[in-house]
Parts: sequence; C-alpha cells; structure tokens
Amino acid sequence: MKTLDTLVARHNNSHNHDSFGIPMLHAQSLCKQVMTAAGELKILENVSLSVAAGDSLAITGASGSGKSTLLGILAGLDQPSSGTMTLHNKELTAMGEEGRARVRADHVGFVFQSFQLLPGLTALENVMMPLELHGRDCARGKAEFFLTRVGLKDRLQHYPQQLSGGEQQRVAIARAFASDPDILFADEPTGNLDSATGAHVIDLLFELNREQGATLVLVTHEQRLAEHCRQRISLEGGKVVERFPMEMACCEAV
Amino acid sequence: MSPQSMLLPLRLLWRNWRSGEIRILAGALVLAVTVVTCIAVFTNRLETTLVAESHTFLGANRIVRSSQPIPEGWQALADEAGCRTARTTQFASMVFAGERMHLAAVKAVTAGYPLVGHLTISEQPFATDPLQMLEAQTVPAPGEAWADSRLLPLLDIELGETLSVGEKDFTVTRVIIDEPDRGSSFALYGARLLINDSDLAATEVIQPGSRIRYHWMLSGSEIQLQSLLTELKPRLTPHQRVMDVESAQQGLANTLTTARKFLLLSAMIGVLLAGVAISIAARRFAGRHVEQVALMKSLGASGWAVRNIYGIQLVSLGLVTSLAGLVLGHVLQEWIAKALASLYPVELMAGDWTAYGLGLLTGMVCLMCFVVPPLWHLPMVPPIKILRRELEVKGLRFYWQSMLGLLALVFLIALFSQDLWLTASVVSAVVALLTLVALFAFGLLALGRRLGSQVGNIWRLALSGLQRNLRQSIIQMMVFALAVMLLLTLTNLRTNLINDWQLQLPPETPNHFLLNITPAEVADVESMMRSDGLEAKGMYPMVRGRLTHINGEIPSQEIAERAEVLRREANLSWTESLADDNKLVKGVWWDQWFEPGVYGVSVEEEIAGELGLSLGDDLRFSVGGLRLEARVASIRSLKWDSMNPNFYFLFSPGALDSFSPTYLTSVYLPQQDKLFINDLLQQFPSVLVIEMDRVIAQVQSIVTQVSFGVELMLWLVLLGGFLVMWAAVSSSMEARMQEAALLRALGSSRNRLLGSLWIEFSVLGFLSGIMAAVGAEVLILSIQKWVLEMPLQIHWMLMLWGVIASTALIGVMGVISCRRVMTTPPALILRELS
Repeated sequence: MKTLDTLVARHNNSHNHDSFGIPMLHAQSLCKQVMTAAGELKILENVSLSVAAGDSLAITGASGSGKSTLLGILAGLDQPSSGTMTLHNKELTAMGEEGRARVRADHVGFVFQSFQLLPGLTALENVMMPLELHGRDCARGKAEFFLTRVGLKDRLQHYPQQLSGGEQQRVAIARAFASDPDILFADEPTGNLDSATGAHVIDLLFELNREQGATLVLVTHEQRLAEHCRQRISLEGGKVVERFPMEMACCEAV
Repeated sequence: MSPQSMLLPLRLLWRNWRSGEIRILAGALVLAVTVVTCIAVFTNRLETTLVAESHTFLGANRIVRSSQPIPEGWQALADEAGCRTARTTQFASMVFAGERMHLAAVKAVTAGYPLVGHLTISEQPFATDPLQMLEAQTVPAPGEAWADSRLLPLLDIELGETLSVGEKDFTVTRVIIDEPDRGSSFALYGARLLINDSDLAATEVIQPGSRIRYHWMLSGSEIQLQSLLTELKPRLTPHQRVMDVESAQQGLANTLTTARKFLLLSAMIGVLLAGVAISIAARRFAGRHVEQVALMKSLGASGWAVRNIYGIQLVSLGLVTSLAGLVLGHVLQEWIAKALASLYPVELMAGDWTAYGLGLLTGMVCLMCFVVPPLWHLPMVPPIKILRRELEVKGLRFYWQSMLGLLALVFLIALFSQDLWLTASVVSAVVALLTLVALFAFGLLALGRRLGSQVGNIWRLALSGLQRNLRQSIIQMMVFALAVMLLLTLTNLRTNLINDWQLQLPPETPNHFLLNITPAEVADVESMMRSDGLEAKGMYPMVRGRLTHINGEIPSQEIAERAEVLRREANLSWTESLADDNKLVKGVWWDQWFEPGVYGVSVEEEIAGELGLSLGDDLRFSVGGLRLEARVASIRSLKWDSMNPNFYFLFSPGALDSFSPTYLTSVYLPQQDKLFINDLLQQFPSVLVIEMDRVIAQVQSIVTQVSFGVELMLWLVLLGGFLVMWAAVSSSMEARMQEAALLRALGSSRNRLLGSLWIEFSVLGFLSGIMAAVGAEVLILSIQKWVLEMPLQIHWMLMLWGVIASTALIGVMGVISCRRVMTTPPALILRELS
C-alpha cells in the first residue's frame, strides 16, 4: 500500500498541478464478472486508475464496454468481484452497503443520463430531496440558489414533465451540486439531449465544477465531451485500451 | 428519532399524495375502515336500540313469570342485588257497568310499573294526537282504573264513571293508549283494565284455581341482574320462568339475526374488495418506487433510512386513512340514523366504542397485510439499479403476499362474523373462484388468440394485447371476476332478503286473532267481517287439551320441567293440507299416512325436541276430561314470525270431531276500523280477541329500518367494487398507454386504437363476467342454503345482467383510464413514461 501511495503521489506531483495534490479516487485492479446462462461473463478486467481531488476524468467507450459498471463501482454503488477502491481515503471495497452509503452521502454527487428526477416532486423539491435526506440545514435556500444558478429561477415550482430535457438535466445538475459533493459522477449527462442543449449542459457542468472545486468523473461515448476532462481512459470489452495522459499507465504497473 | 428525520417522510408522503401516487391506496384504506366502522357502529347502535326497545316489550330488563304469587322473600334478594322491581298480576275477569259487561284483561300493578318504557295515557278516548297523550308518571291511584278506549263504549260509560271488578268499584280516570308490555301472548283476551295492586284483594276475584299470571319485573345493570338471577335460579319452581328479550320476541330476534348476518357479510365483502384494491395499489406504488429508492440510495440513503422513510410514511398513511375512515364511517352511520329518524319514530342509541375499535383494527391489519408485503423489499433495492434499469429487483414472492392477504382476510372475516361456517364458505368460495378463474382465463385467452387471428385488424390487435400481457391479464381477470362475483352475490342476497322480510309481514298482515268462535257462529262471524270489508284468513278448528301421557306413561319430572307445554293446556287443531309456513322435517303428511284406526299427529320440531318425541310415539291428551289418543306421524318446523295461526299439535282429519271444537281466525284490521272488535264482541260475546297490531307494527318498522340499512350498505360495497376495478384497470394503464402511444406514433388511427382498447377491456370484462356469474350463483346457493336458510333458486337474469354489466363497465373504465392517449401527442406520453 505504501508503494502505491508513493507512486500515486509521484504521479500527481508529476503533473505539477497545485489543486490536484490529494488523491480523491483510487482504483486498483478492478475486476467484475457475472454468471450468465452461457457461463462467466467478464465485464471489467484489471482496471486501475487514480484521480486527484479537483481533477477530472472521462471514461469513454462503446456501448457494452463496461463504462457504467466501472462508474457504479467507482461511486460505491456496486462492488467489484476483486480489486480495491478508495474514495476520499476510505476503502469502499472493505465496506458494507451501509458504510458505502455514508461515504456517498458525505462526498458524492450524481448526474444521470435519464435525469432521474422524481415525477411527483417540483424542480425545487427534487433539488431539496438529497439535502433533506441528510438532514442538512437551509435545504430550500440552497436549492433555490442552485436552481437560480443553473438558470431555472422561474421554474422552481414546475414538475419534471413540464420541463424540457435540457431543463430537467439542469435541475439534476443543481441537485448534484446543492449537496456540495467532493466528487461528482456523471453518467452520459448529454445522452438524452440534442447537441446544442448538450453543449449548454456540459458548459454548465464544468463551470459549476470549477466553482465548487469538485472532482469530476464523467462517462460518455462522445469524444468531444471527453476532451473537456484532463484525464481520459477508453474501455473496450472491460479493459482499458487507451489512456491520456500516458503517465497514468504507471498506476497500472503496480 | 430527530424531528428532521420525521419531517422528510411526512413531506414525501404529502408530495406523493399531491402527485396522485397514493390516492387509490389511501382511498382503498379509507374505504375499508369506513365500511367496517359504518357497519359495525350502525349494527351496534341498531342492536342496542332494538334490545332496549325489546325491553320495553317486556316493560323490564327481565321478568320472572309465574302462575303462583312471587315469594315475599325474593324482594330482599332484589334489594340486595340493587335491582329495581315491580309486580303485575294479570287475569281475565268480567267487568260490569250497569247492565253491560265485558271479559276484560285486568292487570293490577305496583308503583314503579313499567320499569322500562312508558305507559301512555290520555283523557281523550281513542286519542291519536300526541298533544292529547301523556306519559304516566305513576300507576292508577287506589280506587281508580285506567282502561282501553274501546272498553268505554263496550260498557257504555264515560271517563269519570265507575265500573266494578268482582266486589270492588273503580272510577275510570284515564284511557290507556299504549302499554309497553302488552306483548304477544295468546293468553290475553279482551280490553285492558289497569288497577292498583293494593285494590286486588278487595276485588276478591282471585280464588284458589284461578288462572292468574304473576310477573315480577326486574331492571338494573346486567351485572346486578346476573347477580340476582344467580341467587334466584336454584329457587325457581317448574311454574316460574325467567323471560328475557330473546324469549319474548323470537320472531324479531330471527329477523335481526339474519339482518346482522347480511350486514356482516356486506362488511366482509367490503373489506375483501378494499383489501384487493389496497393490494393492487400497494404493488403499483412499490413498482413505481423502486427507482426512487435506488436514487435515494445513490444519494447516500442507507437501507435503514429508506425503511425509516417508508415506515413512517406507511404508519402516517395508516393513521390518517384510519382516522378519515373512522370519521367518514361515523358521519355515514349518523346520516343513516338521521335519515331513519326522519322516516320512523325511532331514535338510535349511542354506539359502543368497541365498534370504532373494529374499524381502526381493520385499517391497521389491511396496512400490515396488504400494504407492507409489496413494499417490504424496497429498502433492499440495490443502489446500482439507478444505473442498470434492467436489473431485476426481487420482492416478496407473489404467493407469499397472496397468503398473507388471505390470512388477513380470514382473520378479519372471522373477527366480524364470529361465525366459522360463514368465514369458511366465503373464503373457500373466493379461493376456488380465483383458482378456476386463473385456469379458465389462461385457456380462454389462448382460444381468443386463435380466434383473433381469424378476425379483423382491431380484434387481432386487442386479443394479441391481452396475450402479450398474459400474467397481467390473468390477474386483472381474477380481480374483476372476484369483484363482480361479490357484488352480484350481495345484490342478489339483498333483494332476496328484503323480499323475504316483506313477504313475511306484508302490509296487510293479520293483526288480530279471533278465538273461541263456536261452529254455529262461524258463518255469521265471516259474513259480519265481509260486510265490513274485512277478510278472515282461514278458519281453524281448535280444542284445548293437555298432553298427559307419552307412550302410555306419564312424562318424567325431568321432561316436565323442560317442556312448558306439559304444564298447561295447548291449542290442538287439525288440517287437511300443510300451510306454506309449515315444513315437514320428518315423517309423512296425511296423504301418505296409512295406519287404520289410529289418528296421526304432527308435532312442532322444538316441542318434539323438548318432549323427546320420535316418529311412531303414542301421545295421550286430555280434552275436557275426555281421552284423545294419536300417534306421531310427522315433525314440522314452523315460522312463528309469519303471524299466522300456528299450532304445536296438528291432528289428522276427524281426530277432533267428537270434542266440539271452536274456531280460530286472523284478520287485518286497520287502525280506523278498531271499533269493529266492539261490534263483534257485542254480537258474539263469547268470542275472544287477541290484539297483535302494536307488535306487528313494531316488527314492520324494525324490518323497514334494517332493510334501509341493508340498502345503504350495498351502495357502499358497490363503491368498493368500483374502486377495486379502477385500481386493477389503473395498474396496467401505463404499459397500455405506452403501447398505444407507440402505435399512434407509428401511424395507427385514433379510432383503431380506441376500438382495440374497447375490445381488449370488454373481452376482459366479458370473460370475468361469465366466471363471476357462475361463481356468484354457487356462492348465493350455498349462503342461502347454509347461512340464511332460505329457499334455493337459480338466478338466470342475475347471471345475464352480471355478464352484460361487467362487459360494459370494465370496457368503459378501460377506455376512460387510457383516454389521454387519444388526446395527448404520443411523443409527450412516451417521454413522460420513459
């Protein structure tokens, strides 16, 4: 472990990037396989990566390449079959679901492809929900602030079905940032949007991410979107086939 | 638990309510509690009132009836137990005024009479205006008498004038309009005369051997009465008997028992329907919340937090809906009571709080057994479900949920009915129906598919829709068939029951019995009635005789104590044919009775039981000192509440010819023709009249009240049925909307879709209707046979209407619930549902 830490530190230092000094996310040799009727299916094979606090990582790949599975494991939503995973210095792979839920509550935010807004709640209530869930103060004030910030000040009381796709995704972004996450996971955030709206949403996402100083892990199949991130990995058949920048490879050697 | 952690679930609950997600669930819970509360409180109030009213029939809570004076020492026992008492002494005696006389029913009463109910008197004979009547606060003062109005013209006297009973003169100071304990006893003939007990000795009419009926009236709390009766029972002689409401009003008690069973059945069916609606709504709620839970978990909510959130929501929902159900149930039964009060002079007494407890318990059981199981797995939903929508989430297995639901129903039904037979028949009918429906539905849908391929486009589309959602279609058919079956059953039983009651005491039920008509007088009495526009309901020959020997032996002391009929003279009659309200239980009727030289006798079932008689036993009667021998040819059951003349012993023709019988008949006399009795008695002084008009009017009023309650309950349960069907239709609405929207997007015309939806739901309705009609018929026949004990008949029209109504109703409901797909752009629907 000590060797690993040293290597990670060295890797991070090599970027000479002031804000990327502390490792936020570190995955080592992650594998995921499931049993199917046809036998064992490997979804992820030996994936390692590291993302420093404040840094951004894009995971790209075709459909079925294992991107969403990797994102689920990185965010602590799922467990790998083998390998280790730490998030904010907490080893998720050593924790049960309750422990991982605590980590997600304290450090993680999400933006989903299908927005995942609750249809019965207004835009404001959707943003307030995670704050209320964790018993945070001033849920309404914070939710109003972030909805204003994403340009939906006039849509607070609208229900999801009354909003366009772009607006719904902006509500989801406001919801993600309102709980002040240390790391934000975005799963195909523009997948359900046209390119112009998608571009607006991505600008907003990166802008807020910069303002909040959060770490960003983005799953996308759009190369153009991936290029917004400082680090990029590309998956194929559950394996990392490409990395940018190349220095990241050092992690895999461990 | 922090206030904060309490607040979120409540907020989510409110938001769920506002978005309409839990409305059907909440509606079904409210309905279950409302139906049960309303029925439980209403029947409880009705029973309390009727028991209290029945006590006024007795004039007391209990009566010790005796043919000998009540021992003096007993008063001390009553005082010790804290019971109030009064005594009445009743006998028939000639009363005289000048040259006129009448065989009156004299009653001497002590202070305090009546203990329960009121004695209504007036200074105006035949008063009908309530302003001219008053409730007597005392009994007649010594030397005074109160008389039936009709006694005055009979004796040709006015109020304030005197009459004499035996050796004592009385001044008639009031007329009696109504006395509570007039009762239905056949032993009371003639107009009533009420005197003070202290004058009894002075009349000198009570002599050894006089036929006197002594009543010791008791009132007090049930505990006080029981404590006194425990002391009294060992002291009772064979001549003394404790009477309570049941024994005093058997006919009424039977009607009430049947009504109560019907109301309970309604409550059960209401709960059954509401339970199904709750279950469907809860499953739908759970289905829609799987992703919500996954989202919450991805946002960091732990399993415990999710359980907490849903637990608090459910408990709050249960409390709010139970409270709403309690209030609604209370309001509804109050409204029924008010509506009754405006129609009939009846004020229902307050209900017992336990009836409300039953409503609350129903709500909680429904919540625990119908709502919790489908939601049980929610806290276990894995957070990764948010990213992998295709991931299957396993809930509590369907059959476990069904078993729990069934257990809850058995518990509730058994709790309400406290009748295992009723519980078993309803539950087994439901289980049998559901199994058969599942099998038939599968076969019919397969057949439909084959037929569908040979018919037009719209039909093919509709039938393949049913096939595609085979499991859903079968479940929907089970629910529809169950709801329609229960509604058909209840509708039919209600109609049968009310008809049966109305037939039992139709508006012109004979309300007066004329006895002691000599053979020579029969023709004249009949012609006098005819000239007054009255119709006698048959003339029955009658002799009075006492049963002395069974199979040549004097009945044992044990039998004598059990069977009152051995201690007095019974009315004996004969007849060629068996009346409608008599039914042979054992043996044969006279047309098949071939025992030369032996007369046959048909004995009433209960009396035969008390006497331990079986077919072929020889009975000996003493009729005016002469011997009458007969052999038991049959045992009959009787409907005593039919108010027709009925007899314990009916002989074969000719058996009583040598005993100079008198005749008995019954007649309906409207209130305004009451004086006909006087005219009749003037002309035929030896005829005796028993007035049953008050008793019959009271029973009719109670039957009307109960019928009204039964009607209302039916509507409430029908509402439950609609709710279930709506819940079942709604449960598949989204999938059907999505399909329809997709078909529209692909260019299908509005009419084609509408036609297809219409056919799809109508076919569901039609198939369910057929199965429901058959199921209902079986259920009705078994309930009629074993629970309500009514005659059996097949109901073709009901089955036909059941199928038609089910087809139309479910077709309309389906189209209405999916109507949005016709009026909203398909893109919008697809986006909302995606």
